[in-house]
Amino acid sequence: MSTPLLKVVDLKKHFPVRGGLFRRVQARVRAVDGVSFELERQRTLGLVGESGCGKSTLGRAVLRLTEPTAGAVHLNGEDVLALSPEAMKAKRREMQIIYQDPYASLSPRRLIGQTIQEPLDVHGIGTSAERRRRVEDLLDIVGLRKQVLSRYPHEFSGGQRQRIGIARALALNPSFIVADEPVSALDVSVQSQVLNVIARLQREHGVSFLFISHDLAVIQHVSDDVGVMYLGALVEFAASEDLYREPKHPYTRALMSAIPVPDVKRKSKRIVLGGDVPSPMHPPSGCPFHPRCPEAMPQCREVVPPRVNAGTAAKPHYVRCHLYSDAGTAPA
Amino acid sequence: MSAIPETSDQLRGGVDPAPSAQPERTESIWGKAVYKFSRDRAGMIGLGVVLVYFVMALGVWLGVWATEWSDVEGPKWAPMSAEHWFGTNIIGQDIFQRAVYSTKTAFEIGLVVAVLSTLIGALFGALAGFFSGTWIDEIILWMKGVLDSIPFYLFVAAVAFALEGNPWSMHVAMVSVFWTTTGRLVRGEVIKLRNFEFVEASRAIGVAQITIIFRHIVPNTFHILLVQATIVFVAAIKSEVILSFLGLGVQDGVSWGLMISESTLEVLAGFFNNFVWASVFLFGLVMAFNMFSDALQDALDPKKVAGS
Amino acid sequence: MSVREPVLSVRDLVVEFSTRYGPVRAVDGVSFDVYPNETLGIVGESGCGKTVTGLSILGLIPSPPGRIVSGEIRLGGRDLARMPEEQLRDLRGHEISMIFQEPMTALNPVLTVGSQMVDVLRRHKQYTRRQARAVAVEMLARVGIPVPDKRIDEYPHEMSGGMRQRVMIAMALSCDPKVLIADEPTTALDVTTQAQVLEQIVKLQDEFHMAVVLITHDLGVVAETCDRALVMYCGEVIERADIDRLFEAPRHPYSRGLLDSIPRLRDDKLAELPVIPGMVPDLAHLPSGCRFAERCPRAAADCRRERPVLDGGPGSPAAVSCFHPLA
Repeated sequence: MSTPLLKVVDLKKHFPVRGGLFRRVQARVRAVDGVSFELERQRTLGLVGESGCGKSTLGRAVLRLTEPTAGAVHLNGEDVLALSPEAMKAKRREMQIIYQDPYASLSPRRLIGQTIQEPLDVHGIGTSAERRRRVEDLLDIVGLRKQVLSRYPHEFSGGQRQRIGIARALALNPSFIVADEPVSALDVSVQSQVLNVIARLQREHGVSFLFISHDLAVIQHVSDDVGVMYLGALVEFAASEDLYREPKHPYTRALMSAIPVPDVKRKSKRIVLGGDVPSPMHPPSGCPFHPRCPEAMPQCREVVPPRVNAGTAAKPHYVRCHLYSDAGTAPA
Repeated sequence: MSAIPETSDQLRGGVDPAPSAQPERTESIWGKAVYKFSRDRAGMIGLGVVLVYFVMALGVWLGVWATEWSDVEGPKWAPMSAEHWFGTNIIGQDIFQRAVYSTKTAFEIGLVVAVLSTLIGALFGALAGFFSGTWIDEIILWMKGVLDSIPFYLFVAAVAFALEGNPWSMHVAMVSVFWTTTGRLVRGEVIKLRNFEFVEASRAIGVAQITIIFRHIVPNTFHILLVQATIVFVAAIKSEVILSFLGLGVQDGVSWGLMISESTLEVLAGFFNNFVWASVFLFGLVMAFNMFSDALQDALDPKKVAGS
Repeated sequence: MSVREPVLSVRDLVVEFSTRYGPVRAVDGVSFDVYPNETLGIVGESGCGKTVTGLSILGLIPSPPGRIVSGEIRLGGRDLARMPEEQLRDLRGHEISMIFQEPMTALNPVLTVGSQMVDVLRRHKQYTRRQARAVAVEMLARVGIPVPDKRIDEYPHEMSGGMRQRVMIAMALSCDPKVLIADEPTTALDVTTQAQVLEQIVKLQDEFHMAVVLITHDLGVVAETCDRALVMYCGEVIERADIDRLFEAPRHPYSRGLLDSIPRLRDDKLAELPVIPGMVPDLAHLPSGCRFAERCPRAAADCRRERPVLDGGPGSPAAVSCFHPLA
């Protein structure tokens, strides 16, 4: 098997919480607590979870926009975390990001043309004329007219700004883009427009995405593989069809049943979880989900469940849950 | 663009929702500000008066009028007449000429101090804000703290002494003290802006940090800088009045402060022209500029101008 | 549907905002009835006027720049649109209550939850402090807050988002209102918390026998909780129907387009999602004729010439505002 596009090994990001007279470290917020996965070329990984699960932090850590506390991130075979600043700058051409908030992701006082062209300027790609042409091509790909180049971000709607953000991310021709909740802040009728742009990028330009969202329906639409996060850990990871057909982790099942479905016939039995999503500053002992889990067992409070493959070697379906600890093979 | 609020939060917070774009209509942020400003009557009057003063100062600077401000032309304490519009002072100099000449002095001090202190405040404020939490921030904050604790007029006296009567000593002292407020405001805004995604997006592209600070972040503080500059302009002019009383003010030339301080003896002797007219001119400019500055602040308020 | 009296009636409501481009109508002739014990959904995207409609019922439109130009809002024989502020204040929290999207901004951060609830209770009912507190504790328990007698003395920032939302619901229901207006109550919440809160609202509606007007952009939420729904676009109601009917056979092309374009869990994966082309028009520059025409796959010449109106009054079971509706 060829090298995967992205290989994340035991990635951790802890935030120290300082307090007291001498600003000593009193606690650690384990935003990302040992996450490992692989992403093949031209496939999209959907990362789903609720607030506080660490998915956004994971996305940024993978891009080294926030410095991970431990672990390794291999992009195209190179460990991103071990690169020098100059090498890092060059590496950034292969990986980009698009954001959730279309209003904060574009610099308000810069023209759209400047914003989209900046990546090309920074890396000295092509002549001035070539850069301008590339910018126009990018606008074509995302479906915007040339006139937008001489305007300011505030003159556009959320959906249009998202497309501008996507054009900027594409400028350097990256093989990998982290999309952090790119449609969550958009109107419903615009979401599908932007999702289609992303789908086109996947199909026609072979871009791989790490697609972060809290919306399982959106994730299903764009992803080949799906990872479910809870309190900094990847609790389930499988190919999209497998996960949706047969979710194994109780949290995944609850999440799926909690989504309000715009369909009056499909009123299936809802699993309503008790309690609230706990704060990552005070994670529960053992399995982080046990206080809310409808199937919690005594050992769930004591022991952190190991990652186990509850599928097959050809089609792995990883779960971190004691319900499956005996079944399946040992972790990879 | 419609200003219809879209959620109840926007209705209560007064935030402008983004428009659905009609690409045929360009609207820069400044355009909106100008429109808002033009509806503010007080601001427009203030601006008008300031412009009149400015023309006065320009004329003096170009040598068009008030050239005889230091000449002893008439008798001591001549009353207001057709020849001497405001009368003469104790030496016999024409008060009107002196008052008009002082406009140039005022603008000079105001502009130099405002521009320099704003630039320095922007520079240090941006650095402190962007590197907040590190030693860079600590040092700049410490500097600000020290400068803020020194009583202003003592500081000016010390600087004047150190610079041995250099005509710029007053400007140096003022700039050294006035930059701190701008710096603090810019620092606060930069700390806020630093967390916006467009900053991180620039890092993701590979833009160097210094470039990010001065190309992306600082331009978003222009509304603060502009308003602060106008405030410092007024503060500088007012400070000069006190400094002149202390003998530390303008050395060559004349200013309203100097006129007022000269006039203390005259007033005791019952002669008011010098004092009154210098004060009126001073008050006029300060008041007009304040009105202008307030209207400017409202017009540039990012909560009411979409995009910030 | 048997003949019942609506508890709240809105007729031809028009709300205007003065903007740089002149007066703009956020709500342009909206009429509907709300019956006791039902949940009516008002659904639409940003700018459609649903929030403004909800706020104008309670007279909460900031004026300036907004104002109710014309129309009636009848509650129990009184017209709220013409009611002076003092009388409206007696109604708010008492006969009609409202809950908002962001509980953090709706609750006062410097007061404990208990003191805020007691204030509301004592304003509308003649309770002593002790009685009011007891009622407040009971309300907190009813919305599912554990250990309510301790929680009542907490500050809003000490609670999670879901809990704050429940506090807001408790406050809104504490005086037994006839109508509850909920403006995007779960949009800011996590999916699992959203499920809890929606369940709570449905349960309480049943217990309190009140009418609920649920304003949201989320069609999934509407499908799960509402009995009937209005679809709004550019300040107008363009379709009204029972829930089953609306989701199975929507008649307005916009409703259809919206339902089709939402990503939802399905067994067959689509290559591309159906899309409503274009964007919502600027309310300051509305096209003549039907406001949806420029984006509508069924638009014809008559659609651009004249504005369609609802083909049924508020009493009719269903209505659509379209010259070429589906089905």
